[in-house]
Amino acid sequence: MTIHTADAVNTADAPKSAAGTSVSPPPARRRGRHRVQGQWWVPWAFLMPALLLFLVFRYIPMVQAIGMSVENVRPYLGNEFVGLKNYETILSDPAFRDATVNTLVLAFGQTLGCLVLGFLLALLLEGQTRKLSFIRSAAFLPVVVPMAVIAELWRIMYHPTDNGFLNSIIGIVGLAPSEYINSPDSAMWSIMLMGIWRGGPYDMMIILAGLAGIDRGLYEAATVDGANRWQRILHVTLPGLRPVFSILFILAAIRGFRVFTEVYLMTNGGPNGATEVVMTLLYKLGLEQQKLGVGSAGAVLLFLATLVLTLAVQLMLRRKKDA
Amino acid sequence: MHTKMKAAAVLGVVTLALAGCSSAAAPEGDSSGVKQDEEAVLEVWTRTTPGSPSEAATIRQVEAFMEATGYKAEVTAIFDDFEIKLAQRAGQKDLPDIVLNDVSQLGTMQSQGILREVDLKDIKNSKNMTAQALEAGKAIDGKTYGIPYSAQANALMIRSDWLANLGLEAPTDWDEMLAVAEAFTKNDPDGNGQADTYGLAVPGSTKRGYASWYFSNFLWAAGGDFITGSGDEWLPSMTTDEAIEATTWFRDLQCTAGVIQPGAPSMDTPPTNEAFESGVAGMYVTGPYMMPRFDKVLGADKYTVVPAPEGPKDASVLAEGGTVYLMAGSENEKGQTAFADWYVGEESQTYGMEGTDAFAIQLPVNEKVDISEVRDDPRWETFATAYKESGHYAPTIPSWTPVRQMSADTINALLADCSLDVEEELTKLDGKLTAELLTQGILKQ
Repeated sequence: MTIHTADAVNTADAPKSAAGTSVSPPPARRRGRHRVQGQWWVPWAFLMPALLLFLVFRYIPMVQAIGMSVENVRPYLGNEFVGLKNYETILSDPAFRDATVNTLVLAFGQTLGCLVLGFLLALLLEGQTRKLSFIRSAAFLPVVVPMAVIAELWRIMYHPTDNGFLNSIIGIVGLAPSEYINSPDSAMWSIMLMGIWRGGPYDMMIILAGLAGIDRGLYEAATVDGANRWQRILHVTLPGLRPVFSILFILAAIRGFRVFTEVYLMTNGGPNGATEVVMTLLYKLGLEQQKLGVGSAGAVLLFLATLVLTLAVQLMLRRKKDA
Repeated sequence: MHTKMKAAAVLGVVTLALAGCSSAAAPEGDSSGVKQDEEAVLEVWTRTTPGSPSEAATIRQVEAFMEATGYKAEVTAIFDDFEIKLAQRAGQKDLPDIVLNDVSQLGTMQSQGILREVDLKDIKNSKNMTAQALEAGKAIDGKTYGIPYSAQANALMIRSDWLANLGLEAPTDWDEMLAVAEAFTKNDPDGNGQADTYGLAVPGSTKRGYASWYFSNFLWAAGGDFITGSGDEWLPSMTTDEAIEATTWFRDLQCTAGVIQPGAPSMDTPPTNEAFESGVAGMYVTGPYMMPRFDKVLGADKYTVVPAPEGPKDASVLAEGGTVYLMAGSENEKGQTAFADWYVGEESQTYGMEGTDAFAIQLPVNEKVDISEVRDDPRWETFATAYKESGHYAPTIPSWTPVRQMSADTINALLADCSLDVEEELTKLDGKLTAELLTQGILKQ
């Protein structure tokens, strides 16, 4: 995060004073403070509660999942080591391949949609007045509402008869009623749309913060050079937001890989597997059918994919920065 | 300094993780090796919603057990992720003593080794149990691992006011059922001048395999089955003529006749129940446990219960029920046995059927108990007859859940996408079922 903030500051060419305070204090002062703080274990002691929680609820289960992925899991009788058999099973399962493709489609569509919607909302709602801050909060509401509530709301809106909520709206412009989540042709984009509606405002907030960091002088300079509104967005706003977009992209991609709740609540992977994503498949295999070993193997693969993606994006960004 | 710290931290994580692993892989627990204590409180888990009327009914029943036998017991109601929570306790080698869960879980639980075999000689009341219920308590090895204590079968609930408005009779076979469904859909049975009614309520979602659950009524009535065989020799059978006929007929309700409530492919039971009680759909094949709710929301005068319409073969319907499972590793095995024995006795079976809101016992498994003596509601007799004459349990194999899940996926797909070819999809399903039976080691070679 710090890298990106610093990057943002550089790109936007912000005033030197601001950069000075946010980056690092003079080395001499830092060393002095270190001595005053005393023992090396003090920061660790402060970190301990959080680290312990992470350890118990995150790292140990993760290591156990890796262990389980090479075992035939039998909670009571004791696990049997089966080598890579679970990986073979899941990789040769056509349902897993389909789910991977669906996950990628959904992740990509939602990420892109959220960025576009978030960017448009941010442009519309940028500014200082009190009314705007109220509207911004209102627009942000979907992000804080629990997913279960949203899913139920959209299920009602997606009611597939011609007097359903959304169908009666699209009926006004003469479109035929859609089946939405009840047809394999439309289920995927229906879930995507709901995800964008929910995720867009989150991106909006981050982009708004990014917009605030763009030097106003650049806009003025562009106006003086004769740039119109569109050209200003294209040549000033978008380049200024590049670091913001990259962090949003990483976050959204990771979130996209792990998408579960909305799919589980709306379609549970149906109809005809049209919305089956990796997480719903793993849930079915591991927790409903109690094939915990196979499920764990899938989860480890998902973890590796996320890891590779994150590292790749980080590397790409670093290389770009060095160049 | 920093590297050292990191190394120490990593070492800590690894040690703890290994400790976690090794405890998970502890040696096999031996049930007979556990020190016995007849005073120990029996921990009873039941798969119902905490705080619900059915939890209250179970507590009432277990309290009666304590009074009658002197053993101590405590009820815990769990609904969400019941099996997962049970697996967690299995991992800790500290299972509850008694589990009250669906009979279809028997195979899964038995193959996990968490059940104790029951010697029917110890269960004195078992001599009065119906043959059907006794059979349902057996695993593929022919040994008894559970004592079914309550039974239920599906019947057809139908809006009597709609029938009266249109001058129709309740259907007795599939052709009549289709005709009634079409009339309910097209002839405005609620008389509000709008085409907003449908024939049949169907939970067509893949969640927990609901689509397959519901469809099994029709599949069995046509003489088909998901898998056929016995012992450890099974074959998939979704491409038999009977199965194809049943699937095609059921699917045509949606794709040709259009008599199923809208949105069925994404609905599990809660929204489907609402579709029936709010007057969207006029027929619903379901169990007696829905009556208290529909009586309250819809009104008992608005619907009747009739036997499920006869299919091409017979009127087979899904039979299910609660089973007492005696869990392995208990420190009070005598108490466990007494619990199971008491639960299927005459006294407790009668006691458990009393009440109005929810019942610990739906239909008795004890032949000496006559339901009409306890309940003067004739609708219960319809269910009792359906169970006795047409009740069809799902086969007991090591794990029924994947079979139900896979068939639910196919039924759901066929309902959602009318362009799919029935035979082709069923052939695909047979392929998946073959692989699953092979995984479970029960495929007939």
